[in-house]
Amino acid sequence: MIAEEKLKILTNSAKYDVSCSSSGSGRRNAGGIGNGMPDGCCHSFTPDGRCVSLLKLLMSNDCVFDCKYCMSRRSCDVPRATATPEEICELTVDFYKRNYIEGLFLSSAVHISPDHTMELLVRTVRLLRTKYRFFGYVHVKGIPKADPLLVTEAAKYADRMSYNLELPSEKSLKLLAPQKSRESLLLPMKQLQRERAVFRAEKRKGSFLPAGQTTQMIVGASPERDGQILRLTQSLYRANGLRRVYYSSYSPVVEDSLLPAVQSPALREHRLYQADWLLRFYGFDVEELVPEDENLPLDVDPKCAWALRNLHLFPVEVNRAPLEMLLRVPGIGGRSAQKIIAARRYTALTFEHLKKMRVVLRRARHFITASGKFYGEKNELAVRGLLTAGEHAERAQQLSLFDTAALSARTGEL
Amino acid sequence: MIYFFDGSKDAFLTAFLCAFRDEDAYLTTGSRQLSLGQQSVFVPADRKRARRCAQRLTSFDGRCMHDLDMLLRSGEAERGQTAFCYFRLLADRKRPVRGEFAEDAVRQASECIRRVGLEVHRLKGFVRFMECESGALYAPIAPDHDVSDLLLPHFRARLPNIPFVIHDVRRSKAAVWDGEHTFTAPLARAEIALSADEAGWQTLWRQYYASVNIPSRERLKQMKGYMPVRYWKFMPENPSAVVDAFTAPPASRAGSQDGAPRPHGSAQ
Repeated sequence: MIAEEKLKILTNSAKYDVSCSSSGSGRRNAGGIGNGMPDGCCHSFTPDGRCVSLLKLLMSNDCVFDCKYCMSRRSCDVPRATATPEEICELTVDFYKRNYIEGLFLSSAVHISPDHTMELLVRTVRLLRTKYRFFGYVHVKGIPKADPLLVTEAAKYADRMSYNLELPSEKSLKLLAPQKSRESLLLPMKQLQRERAVFRAEKRKGSFLPAGQTTQMIVGASPERDGQILRLTQSLYRANGLRRVYYSSYSPVVEDSLLPAVQSPALREHRLYQADWLLRFYGFDVEELVPEDENLPLDVDPKCAWALRNLHLFPVEVNRAPLEMLLRVPGIGGRSAQKIIAARRYTALTFEHLKKMRVVLRRARHFITASGKFYGEKNELAVRGLLTAGEHAERAQQLSLFDTAALSARTGEL
Repeated sequence: MIYFFDGSKDAFLTAFLCAFRDEDAYLTTGSRQLSLGQQSVFVPADRKRARRCAQRLTSFDGRCMHDLDMLLRSGEAERGQTAFCYFRLLADRKRPVRGEFAEDAVRQASECIRRVGLEVHRLKGFVRFMECESGALYAPIAPDHDVSDLLLPHFRARLPNIPFVIHDVRRSKAAVWDGEHTFTAPLARAEIALSADEAGWQTLWRQYYASVNIPSRERLKQMKGYMPVRYWKFMPENPSAVVDAFTAPPASRAGSQDGAPRPHGSAQ
């Protein structure tokens, strides 16, 4: 059994990695323990509101790299630990058996050298699949600059692999993660994409990354704008076939003169994810969402912002609008759109119906008509005001003429 | 008229036949206060009539018996009536009505089914097994809806070599995989002898759970939305868990829990 202290150190260093999803793989059980659940499964939720799906662990946090933003970097004084492949396999199987986790998320600091680290990861997943006969979900993080053959070997056993782009531009990467280069991250990504395509085309036995690849970027540690980030995201989805791009709000865990000292706002991360969803599930193109050198607006969500810029397309009639258009109405998501499409086959829907079907109308009512009726505001300014009012309600404070005076009276200065 | 039935599928279908033409029919499984002048009848299951009824309804909608199964699993007091209204509409229209969300009956039934399905989905994640001395696994649950046997195929597929028992302590029944068959059986109280390592793994799990949390980003409301407090009782990582309180010696628990986060406002 792995020592408690070691587990603590290796988890603590892995917890800032955002990716925790266990979806996308339907790996079958072939006489051992575990299988894949294509929809994914959350096993617990921590007080920070995130789900625990995978056992997220570093193989080692003893790093030879010196990336400025990372708490495991070489020049940082933190307790170091390295686990053995057996310890990790045992932990995974015993946690899985008790239904604590859906699988393993294995990452590592660059321990001794990239090749040595990658070899250690490969050895662990191979052991897990062959000796421990584990068929649950395994996500392996790729180590930049490792031998391509080791990468291929890891992909044979893993369900998903990921190389973290870390920062949205080459320039920032050079500045903050001097030992990594854009090349060292994109090349293995493309290698895996190529090999996976070949594997699929030849319909070979076994599996090769059934859940594909993902990546992650830190937002707010470098000056890139949302427009630039989302353009990169879109090209990763379209050209590199990635399944997910994760964004992680920068939080200052280590001090460095090159890094901002403040936590990047969570709302910005949230807006990026909203835009990311619009790209993947709502048929939007990044050009429609935000210009390259701008950020997404914080006061309204990206779909609302798009709709407000395109008011000439609205209102749409819910009983006639095609699915693609319904999906573009602020406040109507995939499930509501499907419900509307199903229900309108039988009867002309009214606002009363929509409300009962739990379609959220707070935003949508400004952009739709139901059986010809319209209950929203036509004027753009009024709509914008109403939409942002809801978002601000908690933070907003009535300005008062007397605030400053009262304050100076208390502090004694006039 | 109020029609009482015992909650089984056959009894529901028999009661459905009796109540079909009754405008003020109310179908229920539980006790119910009768208002003045209201009449009631207890409808026992009649297998023959029930089968005929099921055949007729299935000819209108091939998937409707699955809907009924899910509706009757619900723990909500209104489930009999919800199912009755849904099936009366189906019998009226003589064709599938599942997409007609503009109808109250369809919406209520589909939401009820969704809630039952949601609990199955949640429990696939929230069930917590404990290892017994024999190597078999035991998990107590107390679900809102009667779903313990719906969990069997899921866990059987992933743990084919390990026998396990999922014990619904609220309904005193157990869903069992004995390595060859799955079945359900009544079970009031289980006497469990845990394996030597069990306490150690639970301690490691609590340590992991505490370490993977980022304390500076506390979002308890979101946490409780995804993982309602009523499930915490049998999950060892949560501060209000009682998992080992009734199976393991209490001493193993006291020291191990210090590292675990204790959200405010949670039941201790």
